[in-house]
Amino acid sequence: MELTDADLIARVLADDDQHAFGELVRRHQSSVRGLLRQLTRTDISLADDLAQETFIRAYKNIRSFRGEARFSTWLYRIAYNRFREDARKRKELVGVDEELLQAEHDPQTVDPGLRHDLMHALNLLPLHERTAVVLCCQNGLSHDEAARVLDIPLGTVKTNVLRGREKLKRTLAAWAPN
Amino acid sequence: MIDDETLDRQLREAAPYIDDDGFTARVMAKLPAARRERRWLRAAILIGLTVLGSGIAYLLSGGGRFVVAGVIQLSSFPIWLLLVFAFGCGLVVGAFAVIFAIRKTPEARDLVRFRL
Repeated sequence: MELTDADLIARVLADDDQHAFGELVRRHQSSVRGLLRQLTRTDISLADDLAQETFIRAYKNIRSFRGEARFSTWLYRIAYNRFREDARKRKELVGVDEELLQAEHDPQTVDPGLRHDLMHALNLLPLHERTAVVLCCQNGLSHDEAARVLDIPLGTVKTNVLRGREKLKRTLAAWAPN
Repeated sequence: MIDDETLDRQLREAAPYIDDDGFTARVMAKLPAARRERRWLRAAILIGLTVLGSGIAYLLSGGGRFVVAGVIQLSSFPIWLLLVFAFGCGLVVGAFAVIFAIRKTPEARDLVRFRL
């Protein structure tokens, strides 16, 4: 019988069982790395470095995980915080999104080869909308869980998801062949 | 324009599973060493204090004479009273065992919380 996340966490807490933690990493590495690749706009190397630090931080602070949320939600929160710290250092959090937003309003500037590419359309969204859409629509988090991950009000998450979805639809519609 | 459900489905399908490709091994290699020594230290302190406390109690009670006196006293009790006493002790120990088992088992803890 396969152990649940809760079982594995209990083993890490009781015996400092690193094999159990390894299993948790194996289970969640794809979703955490995927989230960070979206946040870093497919900078795979940076995303994987941040994902690695996310798991190391999770291991060091696993005693603070109270089991009130899903383990994956807790990991997303650490990953998002780690991304923000890094973005602040790189000063990329402000500025780049506005530039790319201009591209969104003018679909002709987009490489025709990338039309219908949903992931590319997603990358054109501003960071706060992109993050909300990735968490809620792609990773299946509820609005409430996403609000906890991003540490913002529930209403803001709902607005960001709504706006993000609408922009994605508009962008994809603009790219559609006549 | 596509609807929300279709968009969400397409978004999920557009995010492929990322192969581990040595990622877990790299994370494991960077984890800090397991804190086993602290558990040993804690166990050693607990055992040490228990032995010390038992030794002091033995000396203060005049070589454990009170235990012999207690056993002699117990033997003079009626048998039904001893049975009731044994049953009561079993109940108390059983209750503590159940409480600790619930506290150590997340599924049982959630079930108890849900029922309450």
